[in-house]
Amino acid sequence: MIEPQELRDLIRQKVRYMLGESGDSLTPDHLFQAIALAIRDRLVDGMLGTQERYAQQNAKRLYYLSLEFLIGRSLGNSLNNLDIMEICREAVEPFGVDLEDALEAESDAALGNGGLGRLAACFLDSLATLGMPGFGYGINYEYGLFRQEIDNGYQVEKPDNWRAYGTPWQIEHPSEAVFVPLYGRIEHSLDRHGHYNPMWMDWKVLIGVPADMPVVGYGGKTINYLRLYSARSSQDFDMNIFNMGDYIKAVEMKISSETISKVLYPSDAVVQGRELRLIQEYFLVACALRDIIRVYQTDHEDFSEFADYVAMQMNDTHPALMVAELMRFFIDEEEMYWDDAWKITQAVLGYTNHTLMPEALEKWPMSLFEHVLPRHLQIILEINSRFMESAEATRPGDNEFLSRLSLIEEGPEKKVRMANLAIVGSHSVNGVSALHSNLLKTTLAADFVTMFPDRFNNKTNGVTQRRWLLSANPRLSRLITDTIGPEWITNLAALRGLETFISDAAFQEAFRDAKYANKQRLAKRIKELLRVNVSPDALFDIQVKRMHEYKRQLLNLIHIVHLYLTIVEDGQTLETPRVVVFAGKAAPGYWAAKHIIKLINSVASTINADKRVGDQLKVCFIPDYRVSLAEIIIPAANLSEQISTAGTEASGTGNMKFQLNGALTIGTLDGANVEIKEEVGDENIFIFGLQTPEVQRMQMERSYQPWQYLEDPRISRIMAVIAGGRFSPKEPSLFRGIHDSIMGGDPYFLLADLGSYIETQADAARQYNDSDLWTRKSIINVARSGKFSSDRTISDYAADIWHIEPFID
Amino acid sequence: MEMTVEQKGDVSVVNVHADHLDASVSEEFKREMAPLLEEHRYILLDMGQLRFVDSAGLGAILSCLRKSGSTGGDLKLCNLAKPVRASFEIARMHRIMDILSTEEDGLQAFSR
Repeated sequence: MIEPQELRDLIRQKVRYMLGESGDSLTPDHLFQAIALAIRDRLVDGMLGTQERYAQQNAKRLYYLSLEFLIGRSLGNSLNNLDIMEICREAVEPFGVDLEDALEAESDAALGNGGLGRLAACFLDSLATLGMPGFGYGINYEYGLFRQEIDNGYQVEKPDNWRAYGTPWQIEHPSEAVFVPLYGRIEHSLDRHGHYNPMWMDWKVLIGVPADMPVVGYGGKTINYLRLYSARSSQDFDMNIFNMGDYIKAVEMKISSETISKVLYPSDAVVQGRELRLIQEYFLVACALRDIIRVYQTDHEDFSEFADYVAMQMNDTHPALMVAELMRFFIDEEEMYWDDAWKITQAVLGYTNHTLMPEALEKWPMSLFEHVLPRHLQIILEINSRFMESAEATRPGDNEFLSRLSLIEEGPEKKVRMANLAIVGSHSVNGVSALHSNLLKTTLAADFVTMFPDRFNNKTNGVTQRRWLLSANPRLSRLITDTIGPEWITNLAALRGLETFISDAAFQEAFRDAKYANKQRLAKRIKELLRVNVSPDALFDIQVKRMHEYKRQLLNLIHIVHLYLTIVEDGQTLETPRVVVFAGKAAPGYWAAKHIIKLINSVASTINADKRVGDQLKVCFIPDYRVSLAEIIIPAANLSEQISTAGTEASGTGNMKFQLNGALTIGTLDGANVEIKEEVGDENIFIFGLQTPEVQRMQMERSYQPWQYLEDPRISRIMAVIAGGRFSPKEPSLFRGIHDSIMGGDPYFLLADLGSYIETQADAARQYNDSDLWTRKSIINVARSGKFSSDRTISDYAADIWHIEPFID
Repeated sequence: MEMTVEQKGDVSVVNVHADHLDASVSEEFKREMAPLLEEHRYILLDMGQLRFVDSAGLGAILSCLRKSGSTGGDLKLCNLAKPVRASFEIARMHRIMDILSTEEDGLQAFSR
């Protein structure tokens, strides 16, 4: 363990020799950079040591392929995981900058949109903490998810140039650059034995240059890496194009190559059908496979043992091209027979499905495929042909069955169905909560279950308690550790030990104090960002996640309007003062979601300025939701909003983070809410609304009639106010469209759930007033959150799908 | 592009003195190879100095292979660096022409 003086000296060295500063007047950013560089050497030692250990043990490795890794800040996480946070605090005292300010100076690495990207990041943390040989492969986007500003209530997107001034966390390895072919055409020929030989000619070349980010497991014994690829044009390419004499064209072609890794596509749960996105997906897959093979070939002569030493998990269908790329590599480059190649491919690959929403399923026009990846298209068509034969044998003459299963969707424009490709090419297909995995088997993948009954399983999502409790909520963490010891940090099930203290007055008081302090911290941030005063005594009612109609921020907002009207029109006083917090980004092209942001801000402005309301109700939309902001918001919550229409949210992970931090959930029986309820008990969660079978029935029968709910005067009043311009006096019809979307053909059944939601919210507010009761329930929620650690999730994946083991000294 | 020719029995070993064979030099390569293909029936192309071949370079070699085959000759390759070999494998060109590890293996391949 490093001593404060040693760390101080290292930091001083970095200040001088890496930053070129004397150290007399450091900014928080200087100090952040210097601390990061100082510990980076240890991280490199750790990474290399870990790699040697895996090599000596001939470990089977897991490669987690994802187009998104929503990492957030790394310094605090690394200091905590190395257990040197306090040592560092002491070390930096003489520099005249607070450690907290230095930690705040780090930009979030926002290489992801939301849950899927954050899951990948939590998984890497757990893999390392469990000592498992698991590595992330992704794209080194120059621009991460856009920064969100709010201008006149509207979202405005700004570029997120997160590593504009470099990042201390990435170690480039140009010597391990790989080349990636793209475009071109197939030339049909015969090989030396007279067999058909499709030659992929005239491709363009991209170079993928890797940079590694260390992933520190708790305790520092295992340090894995996340390998991110940047796209470059090849040096030779550059020189020769320049030599050809057209300088401007040369620059244009160079820029065009490097565009591939320029920016993360900012859509969450909706497909972006652009060519650049397809190229990004192939770029990741091609770079990853070359590197995985390079590692494998350091110890193996041939590929007969490939599946014994390599496992790959596809995070959604974004890396599903790996099915075709593996086949292409084995057949074209290694001259394997089809069946042998297919056996290895399936044995290696696993696929995680994250959504059943049709608009989120990737389907690429065949014409685009032909243009960008002609050889892969050939291979996919061959995979499909063989699969269709097998399907026909299973259900002879059932053309509808074949049509549903086919990797190719027929129609005016044929499309390649990536989910079907991923399912067919994997030995394991999992959903991310019990409910979702069941729905996956009974809806989207029902026909595949007929074909491959043993392939489907569930792996309920999880979150890392190290970032989401230890780091984000030091007060609560300290209390827990002082009470039951530190075991929970690496074994979250140990939190059950808190159940002994549910009724312990001293523990309750300390628990409440921790929550209160977190609320004060958030209140301060709200004041800084929004100039709104909120009282930490109020019920902090929080909904923070991507903006999407299925997540129903609108339902929450309608409830707020209801509360507002009871105050200003009915003259009532709210039993429980409430602060409602929203945060989240809308995809830039998602007009409806952006309009909801505007409505939230308009409602907030009206309510917060209305003297009749006073401190009873405050509404805040905090801009630029990201991991570092979540770490401030979530620990402050009393009530966690998880109110998606039943059957839409595959799992959720925000729900788990809130539970871990002692918030009570108000939610539908959707996604992992179902399992949270199973763990905490009916009386410790607020469940409302339609359940999945009811939603499905109403969908099938088309029996939902929003107008019938206007018989409830509360509801008719709310809708009239929204449509009538109360929250947009200068543009009275501004929110008419939102009103109309709720009243006509609303696929998310807002009004059907509204009555139940209002009642349940009232119940929650009443219970909040009983401080002892609320505290007990909060403690129970924390105590019973063990299942939702990503350590548990990863252990399940490792045992059931990847068959990898921990390697700890 | 400089090429040297060394006669070893029936086989002409052509050494390509360049580190890349790509779009900028592929036409020149074909032009240099044209008289050699006419003069020599059996050509072993020593690619040892090349560190990069792109699809234009592959196309040029393919064109030479076909020209050679059309006059009853043959073209083989030897001494490919790993990344260069990878290009041939991606294009599946290693299935239509012999690619040997060393010059010796290449000469032996002609005598079979």
